[in-house]
Amino acid sequence: MGRLVGRIISVVALAVSTVFVLSSGTLCAQGESTAEAHANRAAEQVQAGNLETAEAELRSAVRLAPGENSYLAGLGTVLAMEKKFAESNAIFKKVLTVTPGDVTVRRYLAANLWQMHRYPEARENLEILLKQAPKDNQSRLLLGMVSENMKEYAKAAEMLASVPEQTEQQPESIVALARSYYHLNRTADARSALGKLSRFPAATNAVFLGAQIADEAGDYATAEQMLMSISPDAANHPVIGYRIALAQFHANQFDESRRTLLNLIEHNAGSREVYNLLGWCYHNQNESSKARQTFEQAIELFPTDEANYLDLLKILIAGRSFSAALRVAKQATLAFPNSAGAFELRGLAEEKVEQFTDAVNSYSQAWHLDRTRSVALLGVAQAQASAGMTKESAATFESGMKTFPQDLRFKVQYASVLLKQAETGDALAETRGENLLTSALAANPSLPAAHYELGNLAFRKGRTAEALLHLEEAEKLAPKSSEVHFALANAYRRLGRKDKSSEEMDLYQKLSGAPEAPATPEPASQSAK
Amino acid sequence: MLRLPTFLLVIFLVSVALSQSPSPVSPAKSIFTDVTQESGITWSQFSGESPDRFLIETMGGGVGFLDFDGDGRQDIFLVNGGETPKGKSPVPVRNALYRNLGNGKFQDVAAQADVDRINFYGMGVAIADYDNDGFPDLFITGYPECALFHNNGNGTFTDVTIHAGVKNSGKWAAGAAWFDYDRDGLLDLVVTNYTEFSFDDPKKCEIKGVRSYCAQVAYKGMPLTLYHNNGDGTFTDVSARSGFDKLIGRGLGVVTIDFNDDGWPDVFVARDASPNLLLINAKDGTFKDAALDAEVAYDASGNAKAGMGVDASDVNGDGVPDLVITNFNDQYHSLFFGSATFPYEEGTVASHLAQFSKADVGWGTKFLDYANDGNLDLIIANGHINQSIESTRGDVKYQQPPLLLHNDGKAVFRNVRQEAGSAFNSSYVARGLAIGDFDNDGDSDVVITRLNATPLLLRNNVGQDSGWIGFELQGTKSNRDAIGAKIVVTIGDRRIVRWIVGGSSYLSSSDKRVLVGLGHTPKSSTVDAEIRWPSGTLQNASNLEPNRYHKIVEGPSN
Repeated sequence: MGRLVGRIISVVALAVSTVFVLSSGTLCAQGESTAEAHANRAAEQVQAGNLETAEAELRSAVRLAPGENSYLAGLGTVLAMEKKFAESNAIFKKVLTVTPGDVTVRRYLAANLWQMHRYPEARENLEILLKQAPKDNQSRLLLGMVSENMKEYAKAAEMLASVPEQTEQQPESIVALARSYYHLNRTADARSALGKLSRFPAATNAVFLGAQIADEAGDYATAEQMLMSISPDAANHPVIGYRIALAQFHANQFDESRRTLLNLIEHNAGSREVYNLLGWCYHNQNESSKARQTFEQAIELFPTDEANYLDLLKILIAGRSFSAALRVAKQATLAFPNSAGAFELRGLAEEKVEQFTDAVNSYSQAWHLDRTRSVALLGVAQAQASAGMTKESAATFESGMKTFPQDLRFKVQYASVLLKQAETGDALAETRGENLLTSALAANPSLPAAHYELGNLAFRKGRTAEALLHLEEAEKLAPKSSEVHFALANAYRRLGRKDKSSEEMDLYQKLSGAPEAPATPEPASQSAK
Repeated sequence: MLRLPTFLLVIFLVSVALSQSPSPVSPAKSIFTDVTQESGITWSQFSGESPDRFLIETMGGGVGFLDFDGDGRQDIFLVNGGETPKGKSPVPVRNALYRNLGNGKFQDVAAQADVDRINFYGMGVAIADYDNDGFPDLFITGYPECALFHNNGNGTFTDVTIHAGVKNSGKWAAGAAWFDYDRDGLLDLVVTNYTEFSFDDPKKCEIKGVRSYCAQVAYKGMPLTLYHNNGDGTFTDVSARSGFDKLIGRGLGVVTIDFNDDGWPDVFVARDASPNLLLINAKDGTFKDAALDAEVAYDASGNAKAGMGVDASDVNGDGVPDLVITNFNDQYHSLFFGSATFPYEEGTVASHLAQFSKADVGWGTKFLDYANDGNLDLIIANGHINQSIESTRGDVKYQQPPLLLHNDGKAVFRNVRQEAGSAFNSSYVARGLAIGDFDNDGDSDVVITRLNATPLLLRNNVGQDSGWIGFELQGTKSNRDAIGAKIVVTIGDRRIVRWIVGGSSYLSSSDKRVLVGLGHTPKSSTVDAEIRWPSGTLQNASNLEPNRYHKIVEGPSN
């Protein structure tokens, strides 16, 4: 983004200095002449790249001729070039109060605001500007960039495509256009835009950037193609090769990805990301022991990389190797005593091996380390319930609902605990549980667990038709949940729909034997995107 | 009005206050008394507990009531466990056969009877007269084989396993039940096999660094075995023909009873982390599993509970067999009300059984009318498997008290721990449980086994205070023990239904006599009984005298 704006500003700076030169000829008062001299020197300094000196000269010019807007505008411009955006903006706004029709200044102001990520204000100024000067191509370009940042892809594509000459001058604007096209499902147009990246002098970086965009958009074939086009040895390059492997991984071409990664390792380019991705390749190909070995190797080679520990834990838990997961979790928390993520996963592993009191401690530590992790607090509450710490669990759930009111998992899981408690005869717990579920669904009707619990409750009370409504909804939302299919089988059977019941029971049996799905089966490097 | 002197008034007021205050917690006599010590029972179970933590070490504990010598008194047979590679016994591991001497005393005559030694790790016992000679025989389950001991009628037994063809080789057998599945008058045998197992494969599991027993899901399940009694002292393995060999899971407790009242015995198998089985007799040598239709296979979430012990009888007074199954902590022991149509109604919560069993791991269980009020109460033996459970949570203990639950007549239970006796206020690692009237006073007594400890013999003190009637049935066309018989007792306008079941509880075998509590009925009431024999014969007996046992021999239908 910076380079694009810099280019805009430098073009205009040239124009500004020209303005200074032109305007100087019209001034005749002695003070103004002195101001003019400062302005002229400022222009020279801008051209020489001495922005600090240019700033000082322009300040002098403004002081001597405070009514001269061009000097003020010049100062604002130089400040923008120095990235002193706040003061630059203030000056531009001052100019615009006097000459609101000053397209150039308004454009600069918009550019500043864009660089400051104040997109709505940038857009507002650009829209005013384009009403005054609809054919201002620089502004159309800038509005395209701003719109893309605001995820207004249709507008972004319209603007950027309308000024092809300007758009094609920078890789960043081409990429913005391509990204917009991808979001509009105009894949062919996106690819066409990305194809222009190879024309740049520093093509490698541009193409690399484009490949990243294609990968992010799910156009893995294009991503891979672009990366391979960088050079004949692209696959051996540590960074490019990794990106190729990542694109292949995203395209579910795990064999190819694995080959690329093993090639990198053979060429001594085995970074921690490479090993991490290789581990995930093996995992996705159900080669669990190789996956495990790879992550263990990664841990050995890069012992300070927390991601490999955490990913190893995730695949061990997904593969139901809970004891092994617990061993690794203990190592992880020793190695990274301030990692909330490590303690959270340790808590999960301890829950899986039913060491509930330990799980309470681990989740509590995760929560203590990072009070933004709602999953950690949820883990504390659930582990307390499992450990028979009923009062403590209730208190934690209540606290969780207050602290994270948007996180409906607290309501749903607390309800589940209460409904279980209700089976021991606690009628109030049942009422509370049911109310929590209803409230959760009012906030978000797409909660499969809430539908499932309400469905089960209705079923237990003999309200089979009502149960079916909830369970069918749960199935739509969570088609791979074995317990939902089981509950549906029972409901259909009660209603005399034996064929549907058998169908659901078959699904239940197929799914209940499957390994647990990990919460985030993505390579750790992916989550940083 | 006469004015009492003040001090008399005070005394009067105090006595009124005392009479209105809640009665003391402990009643005049407890429901059960632990009479183990005075009975002379000193035998102790040996589990072979070892550092290897083989799962079998924590699973044994069978016990049975039987009158082996025909003297009219219930004796007790106790199955021992066995040695493991690193769990050796300083003395030979022996079973016990305690002969009831009649005065509350018992004497171990297992050696004289030749039933003290087996060549395998012992689990449970199923007792019945398989050859209809009038003397109960013993089928002992275990790993890696089983044994059948024929009662010679003279105080001794003979191991006829090989001749009979019931060795069940290579399998870890747990529960067993005698029943006449084809109604030919001869008792057949169903055996539940638990898991694939070998002492050469000690699976390593830990809890917080301490070696522990692995969860049952670490072991693959096994099929059931079904033996058909050929009537000549031999059996034929009909597991394949019957389809039992395809029912693979971790089978434990088993009970046979006519669930659908068609006159043919059915089978319920409680399985451990495998779906339970409700095998309805198809009357052609095969069975159909209706557990899914009855909704007794899994819990509400589709999980197979850890079913260990089981019993079946009519707990809600509707004349249809109900089921109780003991499970693991947090699962609650299950109660299902049987019905003529599926599904069965889940009664675990409504009966309050859930409330009382959340932290329990249950094993042996029986319905029994301890108070002889005509309603079936419930007794459960509890105890965890891992000593280290208490380090992972605060609410579940390794040693747990047994449960005695009183039925209000509508299948709602009340925990009567306070009145039950010291045994119910102490904690154990209990396993097997059998009921029998060892003192012939008309109420059900109980024996409970414990791992690596003596059993508990609990004498019932209260049942005899109410009216009762006992039935000792002898089949002629039916199997002699009348296993499978249904008895409908009518007294006044009250109708009570009971069965002679095969199997039941956990690894254990109970007194075959049927006790029916009559409550406090007027002396003028008459007791009538209708017996449906396993053969299908219907026989009526009228004007039966209460408060005694009646021996009824199968005759023609009337």
